[in-house]
Amino acid sequence: MREILFVIFSIFTITAASGVLLSKSPVYSAFSLILSFFGLAGLYLLWGSTFMAMIQILIYTGAIVVLFVFVVMLLNLNTEKENPPNLLFWGISAGSVWLLSLILLRVLTRSIPSKLPAVPVDQLRTISKLLFTRYLWPFEVLSLFLLVMIVAIFAITRTGEIPVGGEKS
Amino acid sequence: MSFSISITYWSHFVVISMFALGLLGFLLRKNAIVVLMSIELMLNAVNLLLIETSMRTNTPDGIILVVFVITVAAAEVAVGLGIVLNLYRLKGTVKLDHFRNLQG
Repeated sequence: MREILFVIFSIFTITAASGVLLSKSPVYSAFSLILSFFGLAGLYLLWGSTFMAMIQILIYTGAIVVLFVFVVMLLNLNTEKENPPNLLFWGISAGSVWLLSLILLRVLTRSIPSKLPAVPVDQLRTISKLLFTRYLWPFEVLSLFLLVMIVAIFAITRTGEIPVGGEKS
Repeated sequence: MSFSISITYWSHFVVISMFALGLLGFLLRKNAIVVLMSIELMLNAVNLLLIETSMRTNTPDGIILVVFVITVAAAEVAVGLGIVLNLYRLKGTVKLDHFRNLQG
């Protein structure tokens, strides 16, 4: 049963991910991205990681893809047409990416032990304990990083001139 | 035992196909927003591999790393879309072909 669900979610995820690559309009790409994230959340559930499945749906489809769709709607891109694809360039890229994938598959299959999880860990408790003991310092650095990002986005996207000395006199 | 081996193969197949699709989108698409989405696909493939390995070896450290990756991905998307917005204001398009100011 678990295998069948696994294969179904895998095919679903890969199909939706190829929809991101192949669809003409960025809105359809964003919706394919949402579908592929739902498939990924299902895969996380099958691996037994319920917390990460929830986080995936909440953060990725709830925040990030909404951001994408918001920007697509803001930009009014309907008038733009993509050029017809350059087949030679697509072929070269697809071939080299395929070779890279073969190498990666070889490396992954060699290096990871094929053992299924025996006992599901109490995830939320373990994660929060680790986050506030062993990984406390990276966690705090990450919060500082988010603050820097907020300031940077304000600095990038502001419109109009703000005088250097602060407020206008 | 064959069950676990087939599951291993499938999951690696999924991870690598998602990463390859993201890489192809990053290389081939001309729309800047779709390029950012492709970066998200690659990050998610790595997340899947991290979670799978973490659950398989019963160590929660990979999940912590995934939390960090998600945070950085969200910040990266916000900054990237801000840059795309500014480019659209400057040039009136988001197609990457049209940004040739740094081309020699």
